[in-house]
Amino acid sequence: MNRLINAVRYYSALFLGKIAIYLLRITGSGGTSFPGKLAMAICPDLLRILGAKYRIIMVTGTNGKTTTSRIIEQILIENHIKYIANKSGANLISGLVTTLISDVKFNGSPTSHTALLEVDEAAFRASSKHVHPAVLVVTNFFRDQLDRYGELYSTVEAVRHGIINNPGTTLILNGDDSLCASLGRDVQNPVIYYGMDKLSEPEDDNGKVSNSDASYCIYCKTKYEYQYHTYSHLGYYQCPECGYKRPEPLVHVIRVPAMTSEFTTVVFSTPSGSFQAHINLPGLYNVYNALAAVTFAEALGFSHEKTVRALSCFESGFGRMESIPLGEKNIQVILIKNPTGLSQVLKYLTTVEKACVICFMINDRTADGTDISWLYDVDFEPLKNMQNRVSRIYVSGIRAEDMAVRLKYAGIFTDHIAIEKNNPAMLDSALNTLNAGETLYILPTYTALLDIRKLLKKRFNLKNFWQ
Amino acid sequence: MYEINICHLYPDLLNLYGDYGNIQALVRRLEWRGISVQVHPVSIGDPFLPDEYDIVFIGGGQDYEQDILHKDLLAIKKQPLIEAVESGMVFLCICGGYQLMGRYYKLSDGTEIECLGAMNHWTIGHEKRLIGNLVFKIEGLKQQPDSLVVGFENHSGKTYLGDGVSPLGKVVYGNGNNGEDGYEGARYKNVFCSYSHGSLLPKNPGLTDELITIALKRKYRDFVSLQPLNDRIEALARESMIKRLLKAKQ
Repeated sequence: MNRLINAVRYYSALFLGKIAIYLLRITGSGGTSFPGKLAMAICPDLLRILGAKYRIIMVTGTNGKTTTSRIIEQILIENHIKYIANKSGANLISGLVTTLISDVKFNGSPTSHTALLEVDEAAFRASSKHVHPAVLVVTNFFRDQLDRYGELYSTVEAVRHGIINNPGTTLILNGDDSLCASLGRDVQNPVIYYGMDKLSEPEDDNGKVSNSDASYCIYCKTKYEYQYHTYSHLGYYQCPECGYKRPEPLVHVIRVPAMTSEFTTVVFSTPSGSFQAHINLPGLYNVYNALAAVTFAEALGFSHEKTVRALSCFESGFGRMESIPLGEKNIQVILIKNPTGLSQVLKYLTTVEKACVICFMINDRTADGTDISWLYDVDFEPLKNMQNRVSRIYVSGIRAEDMAVRLKYAGIFTDHIAIEKNNPAMLDSALNTLNAGETLYILPTYTALLDIRKLLKKRFNLKNFWQ
Repeated sequence: MYEINICHLYPDLLNLYGDYGNIQALVRRLEWRGISVQVHPVSIGDPFLPDEYDIVFIGGGQDYEQDILHKDLLAIKKQPLIEAVESGMVFLCICGGYQLMGRYYKLSDGTEIECLGAMNHWTIGHEKRLIGNLVFKIEGLKQQPDSLVVGFENHSGKTYLGDGVSPLGKVVYGNGNNGEDGYEGARYKNVFCSYSHGSLLPKNPGLTDELITIALKRKYRDFVSLQPLNDRIEALARESMIKRLLKAKQ
C-alpha cells in the first residue's frame, strides 16, 4: 500500500511539475524554481529518486559557478555527450529539481544521462544527502552576502559537510585558494587541484587592506606568507607555522601570452601535455573559470583539441559579460554580486581603450543581499584612473543613491554621476551619450539583472534566459 | 595648516561589512576642506602610540579573525588604549570593535571572553542574529531630517550599558544594542560606538563632521568650526532609506 502511495506521489509530482514548467514557459515568465517547489511538496523524496538516474557533475563556490558551468557545457557538447543543465542559474534545491523534471519523460525515464548542475554552496550541503555527484568542481570562496550566508568560514564548512556525505565524488579544487584547497585534506575522495603559476605581471600584490579573506592559516591562525598573489587571496600561500601550503596543481596555467578586452590567450599544462587556447571571455577571473573546466576535461580524459574548441566558442551565461551588439553601438551586461567579483570587473574595464558609459544597478532584495555595505569593500581606484574615458556613470536600482555616495567617496567627480532609477530612461539617455563603436557597460546585482534583462529582451528581441 | 592622524586598528583583521568606508569618509571630508590627513594601520605586533593619533577607528570582524587578535589586544594595546580613551581622544568603534571596548563578551555556552574594559558595557551572545536596516536618532546631531542616522546591523551579541556610559542614540527602526531597551550604540567621553555599518559615515556626514570637529577642537585651540560642504547626494541616500523604512514600519 505504501509503495502504491509513493508511486502515485512520484508520478503526480512529475506530471504537475512538467505541466507547471510548460505553463510558465508559454506565458513567458520562465519560472525556474516554482515547478521544483511544487513537485517536492507532493513528493519530498523527488531529488533523490531523480538524481539517481543521472551521472551528475556539480559546480559550486562563491564566484564563477555560471561561467565555469557554461564552459564545461561546451566541452560536453564538443564531446557529443547528451546532458541537461540548470542554465538559468536557478541553483537552489528547487532549481535543481526543476531542471531534472524538465529532462525526464512523464514515465520518469531520463532523456539525457548526464546532468550539469551549478549549485549554491549552502544548497550543496542540503542536496548532498540526496544526490551523489560523480564530479564536484569548486571554484573559490570569497566574501559574499554575509547577511544571508553568515561568515565566510561557515560557507566553507557547509561545502565540507556536503563532501563528507559523498566520499566517492571526485573533487576538482582550486589549489590557489587556501580555503578551497583545504576541502581536499583529510578526505577519502579522489582530489585534483588546479592553479596558476606566477605570471610575469602580478595582478595584485599590494596586500591592500580592503579585503582580508583568508590571510590567516585556516588550521593554525598564523599569517600566511605568499610567494605570489594572482588576485585577492588567491596565489601561492604557505603557513610558516604548521606548513600548510598550496598543493601542487595537476593542471596549471603556465603563461598568459595575451589579455585584451575581448579575449585571453592562455597556455595550460596538463599531465597529458601542454596546449595553448583562446578563452572567449576577458578577465583574469575567467582564466580561473576556464582552468577549472580544463581540469574537468582532463579528469574525464577528453582531447585537448575539443577542449580548445570549447574554450573559443562557449556562450557566456545570462548576464555574464553577455554582449548585445546594436549596430554601431554595443551593450555589455556583467553581473556583480560581491566585492571580489566587482573589483575584477572594474579591473577588466580598465582594459577597454575606447570611451564608454557605465551603469551600476544596485538592488537590495533578498537575492542581492539586503546589506549593501560590500560596495565599500570594493577598490574603485581603477575607475578613478579612467575618468577621462568614462563619459558618464549612471546609477540605478533601489539603492542608486547609495551607489552615488560610494562613487563620490571613491573620488569620482560627482558631475559625472547621474542618478536615474527609471531603467528605460536610463537606457535611452545612456545610448544617446555613446558614439559609434562605443559600449555601454551595465553592471547589475542579481535581481537588477533580471529587471534589465527583461527590458533589453523586449527592446532588442533577445532569447529567453532559460534557453 | 591643520593635520589629523587616524589610527586604523587591525585593518587586516577587522574590516567586515565595508568598514573601510568609514576611514574613507573621514579622509575625504578632511581633504575636501584642505586639512591634511594621515592613516596609520596598526595591527598585530605593532605598538599603539596614543601621542601620534587624533582619531582611532576599530571595525568589526568574523569570530575567526577576532580570535586571532585577542591576545595581542590584551597583551600590548590595552593600557595605551585605555589611556587614550581617558584623555578624550576621538574613537569610532563599530560592531565587533564596539564589543571589544566593553568589559566582556559572554558566549551562549556561558564562557566569558575578556574585553578591553575601556568602557562599562558588556555583550551576551545569542543564537539568533539581529540583521537588517537600522535607523536611530542622535539627539542634537546636525543632520537632516530630525538628527536621524541610517545604517545596517548584523550581530549575534546583545549589548547592555552600565553606569557612566550613555547610549549613542534611540532606535527608530531596527534592533540596536539588544532589541529590548530601544537604544543603539554607546558614548563615553569622546568614544562613539555603534552596531551600524553600511558604511556608517559616508551616508551620515553630520556624524562624520561631528567626529572631525571634536578631534580638531581637541588638537587646535584656534579651531572654530568646519567649512560646510555640498552633501546633496548623501542626503538623498539617507532620506530615501528613511522614507522607505518608516513607511514599511507603519
